[in-house]
Amino acid sequence: MKAVLNKRPFDAGHAAYVTLNGLLLVFLLAPIAIVLVFALNPMPYISFPPVGVSLRWFEKFFASAEFMNALWLSLWIAGCVLVLSILIGGGCALALARGSLPGRPFLTAFFMSPLMLPAILTGLALFQAYLLAGIGRPVWGLILAHTLVAVPYVIRTTLAVLHNFDRRIEEAAAVLGASPVRVFFEVTLPLIRPGVFAGGVFAFIVSFDQFPVSLFLVVPKGETLPVVLFNYMKFDLDGAIAAASMVSILLALSVVLVLERLIGLKAYVKL
Amino acid sequence: MTTRGRPSPIAWLLAPAALLFVLFFVLPFGVMAAMSVFSGNPVNNPNAFLTTRHYERFVFDTAGIYHDALWATLRIGLITTIISLLIGYPLAHWMARMQSRLGHALVLMAVIAPMLTGIVVRTFAWMTILQDKGVINTLLIQWGLTDKPLPLMYNEFGTIVALVHIYVPFMVLTLTGVIGRIDERLEQAARSLGAGRLRAFVEVTLPLSLPGILAGSLLVFALSISAYVTPSLMGGTDVLTLPMLIAQQVGTSFNPNFAGALGVILLLVSLAIVIAYNRILARLSGEQGLA
Repeated sequence: MKAVLNKRPFDAGHAAYVTLNGLLLVFLLAPIAIVLVFALNPMPYISFPPVGVSLRWFEKFFASAEFMNALWLSLWIAGCVLVLSILIGGGCALALARGSLPGRPFLTAFFMSPLMLPAILTGLALFQAYLLAGIGRPVWGLILAHTLVAVPYVIRTTLAVLHNFDRRIEEAAAVLGASPVRVFFEVTLPLIRPGVFAGGVFAFIVSFDQFPVSLFLVVPKGETLPVVLFNYMKFDLDGAIAAASMVSILLALSVVLVLERLIGLKAYVKL
Repeated sequence: MTTRGRPSPIAWLLAPAALLFVLFFVLPFGVMAAMSVFSGNPVNNPNAFLTTRHYERFVFDTAGIYHDALWATLRIGLITTIISLLIGYPLAHWMARMQSRLGHALVLMAVIAPMLTGIVVRTFAWMTILQDKGVINTLLIQWGLTDKPLPLMYNEFGTIVALVHIYVPFMVLTLTGVIGRIDERLEQAARSLGAGRLRAFVEVTLPLSLPGILAGSLLVFALSISAYVTPSLMGGTDVLTLPMLIAQQVGTSFNPNFAGALGVILLLVSLAIVIAYNRILARLSGEQGLA
């Protein structure tokens, strides 16, 4: 059967189908590749084709106090968001999956809803709330705002893992005499750990790349990297932006690899 | 198995999330709605009074810009959605029907990689491609196809191109799930009964993937009408959308009350879309809904 299939004559329809999809992949990936070209191109402004290879834009990026302050602030916030969303989201997912709560589908949809509502409105609403509360725009307010939009990712990956694992493992441990607390710490927790961590890494990226939620919540001189890049790009379009972009892309790529290592990318296919 | 009994102690783990969501999600949206019906800040301004004037300002639109902004937002969202569907469907179909696991993983990586790159960075990438001295115009001039650069950016065209690139992965992922669940043998049966490949696709696979098309389109539409970064960088002075208007009211006009009213209007449009999206997904996957 296979041999017969392989001997099929040249199939123009299929070739067109594969070519089309190849082109679409180029459309998806080329813009990201192009950023690298501009990050290495020594010309003082964005110009094509590139004339050489230099690291001057990376030097400019890493030497600029403005960019560096923003980078460290973004990393610090993303780190806090990572920890907070693992604790809050992991607990929430466990409660949803194992807590025998009434109205579970509604609760799940509710905790997912920050992903569905316009992020810029979440930022606006928090801005209004902080304004009314008269607390200014503190960094912890920004961290909690990011945590709010990052928690759904942790809930999703943790629920996916909880959904997949065999509940009988927990029941077996209980039958063998383990207390519920011991079952939780020695069976459930180790089993969901990859899902929780993968969600946490996702939460880190969501916070690190976050723009719409941050827009109204940052203070001058206390802006995160995406906001600084956005403001810079409104007036200047040079290789420093490309270098900064490259740094965040490399960060994201390494995260993808970590994710793939931890639980595989399948968990993200379920939107 | 206590699916119907009382909540178990583990339900308490929900408390931190519930607290976060009430204080930093439900309450702020309530504040936004409240601000939109006040003349000023009701906490520190004793003269602030209840008013519908922010909504009237939008509805009567004496300045003649708000309706245009709403219309531009919806138009850009609609065109972005249609193009994302046209681009996303072949990719999703390819991925769903791919036999090789490695090939599937690679395409999936290629689709997800842009999602993990920030919106600001991806918009920057398109600026370098579409601007006057960008990649496309340089090549076109070099090859003698045009004398002066084509206006690819600082207009609606550039905005839509970048938005499609940013949101097409969401379309692909939604569609892949749905197409993957369609039994391939149905198409094979149609073909063995004499239908050509195209006819089998149009009459079998396409109708069966309709819920996915609808869900993916609603998702991309909801995302693109709330985009801020891309229209404000790629649109130049040509494009003014609702989210840009909101940012203007907060940033330059400092009118948080009118911004609140605009926010409520955008929220209502989004909510309608989200509810429709959830209905479709719930019908697709039983009770699971968004999870």
